[in-house]
Amino acid sequence: MSQTITIDPVTRLEGHGKITLKTNEQGEVSEAYFTVTQVRGFEKFSEGRPYYEMPSLMARICGICPVSHLIASAKACEAIMSVEIPTTAAKLRSALNMAQSIQSHALSFFYLSSPDLLLGMDADPVDRNIFGVAQKNPELGRAGVGLRRFGQHIIELLGRKRIHPGWVVPGGVTEPLSAVKRDEILALLPEAYANIELALKWYKEIADRFAEEAAHFANFPGAFLGMVGEDDGLEFTDGKLRLIDATGAILEDKLDAAHFDDVIGEAVEPFSYMKFPYYKPLGYPDGAYRVGPLARLNIASHAGTPLADTELKEFKKLANGPVLGSFYFHHARLIDILYGIEKIEQIFSDSTILDTHVRATAGVNRLEGAGIAEAPRGTLMHHYKVNENGQITWANLVIATGQNNNAMNRGVLQAAQQYVKGDKLEQGMLNRVEAVIRTFDPCLSCSTHAFGQMPLSISLVAPDGTLLHELRRG
Amino acid sequence: MNTVPGCESKPADLPPIRRLVIACGNTLRGDDGVAWHIAAQLDQVAAQTGDEIVVTQQFLPEHAEQISLADVVVFIDCSALTTAGCISSLSIDPAEQLPRILTHHLDPAALLRLALDLYGQIPLRRTLITVGGESFAMTEELSAAVRNAIPAATLAVQAALS
Repeated sequence: MSQTITIDPVTRLEGHGKITLKTNEQGEVSEAYFTVTQVRGFEKFSEGRPYYEMPSLMARICGICPVSHLIASAKACEAIMSVEIPTTAAKLRSALNMAQSIQSHALSFFYLSSPDLLLGMDADPVDRNIFGVAQKNPELGRAGVGLRRFGQHIIELLGRKRIHPGWVVPGGVTEPLSAVKRDEILALLPEAYANIELALKWYKEIADRFAEEAAHFANFPGAFLGMVGEDDGLEFTDGKLRLIDATGAILEDKLDAAHFDDVIGEAVEPFSYMKFPYYKPLGYPDGAYRVGPLARLNIASHAGTPLADTELKEFKKLANGPVLGSFYFHHARLIDILYGIEKIEQIFSDSTILDTHVRATAGVNRLEGAGIAEAPRGTLMHHYKVNENGQITWANLVIATGQNNNAMNRGVLQAAQQYVKGDKLEQGMLNRVEAVIRTFDPCLSCSTHAFGQMPLSISLVAPDGTLLHELRRG
Repeated sequence: MNTVPGCESKPADLPPIRRLVIACGNTLRGDDGVAWHIAAQLDQVAAQTGDEIVVTQQFLPEHAEQISLADVVVFIDCSALTTAGCISSLSIDPAEQLPRILTHHLDPAALLRLALDLYGQIPLRRTLITVGGESFAMTEELSAAVRNAIPAATLAVQAALS
């Protein structure tokens, strides 16, 4: 008998979503849908606002990665202004972006995913959270708290606020860095290095236990998109985009923000408010691709910092070509963190970082502009059109999680087909399906948060709508 | 107050007592932001006393480390359960029962548990001060009852710190 299984909402994500699984007459999962149940209205209600308000306005989309929105938005505004920002401002923004990636990745890896990795996918959900981590491996828990604090503290030092700093503006940043703040940041580095070293060592020790999950968690051939620097190394803020296929062949290279939507389209599916970006030459859905830590490591030839270079070389040995299994997002996230710490050290060790010229000024010189940055979860694009008064007439955002939408849906189907059997639902089964989504660290909170805790339910529904079985927690 | 492992008294020759205040609430949701107003009052004297005042919209795991380093901690929050303007002072211990699902919500007892498990120590004195709220609408204004309670609540926090 065919059935429908619903996981609503999915837990330990940023935001709210649900998973629906449909089984065929043989009881095998035949279809899977990851549904984002919230509407994002930022593109619409920003119409009429002055372009220079956009960075601060659009950063309110999310409290986890407001910095990426600030930067992508400011860059779109700078395209409208036709200005090049001062070099020191670009370096400071880059440091801010890395700090955000570190704190966001720490949240994802240590708070949301490490409970699965440390305690096991079949562990009691009561224990499978940060409290369980604190009790079983406090050293790992402290490393996570420490790395998140490290990133947040740098954001606060630079932007005056941990969340929604207003420091990044069209043209640069509002104020230069002081020597006192620089020295404070540099003093934080030894502990950060120790924490990420501990985490990487621990992850490598336990990763082999999850070989089966690695084989079935969104592990399939597909394309990868991300930013690289001029030297083909990792870059989060001021590079250009590269798209590769599953063999590693380059499909697009040196793609800039202005030409992003020449090659990237957005499809819509009736079951979700989240869009489905795709590579136009391959069409939808064949042109679906992945972004984020895994994509960044797959497209870059090297990291560009000593310790991350070593880790990236080791990472690339996992596959003969791009690493296709999405379970390895976890590993890639840790390498991102290491790279970020090294990058921050490089930036704040640069004697020009205290330069006081950190903002360029101009008015409206073009009626359209786009900006790109690498958010923790992947490539983020802001695209605006303005009238001659500089008021927004049209805005479009292509967010990282959306670009992983197709892969998440495919991944849920793959994992469900592997783990969901028969008509009896088990917590471990349910958690593995959720855990596929967590590997992507999706941020669904682009417009709103609901109050209260997020319960989780999974239901089996017969073709006639009869509820056959339900599990609920929370 | 119960004595729990990790919070034994310090010998007399150790450095001055470290006092921490964590004020939690959302200033955009009416009375829910009352803790921030109380923290602003405390801030005026914190420079002299050396007390650490933290204002936050949520209790976060990252607060666990600060808590573990303090000798005295006072949490300030708004309560939707008590009468508007009613000030409550409660001594708290680390939670035994933890949330089944950790998403966006931590309470002081759970935070104390996290501090104890991660860092092995928590303050000797731990107090939660709440002010009852009645309006949680989208506004930065406090209701009259809550606004009028701020001076007394500030004194209650100072008493808990002293």
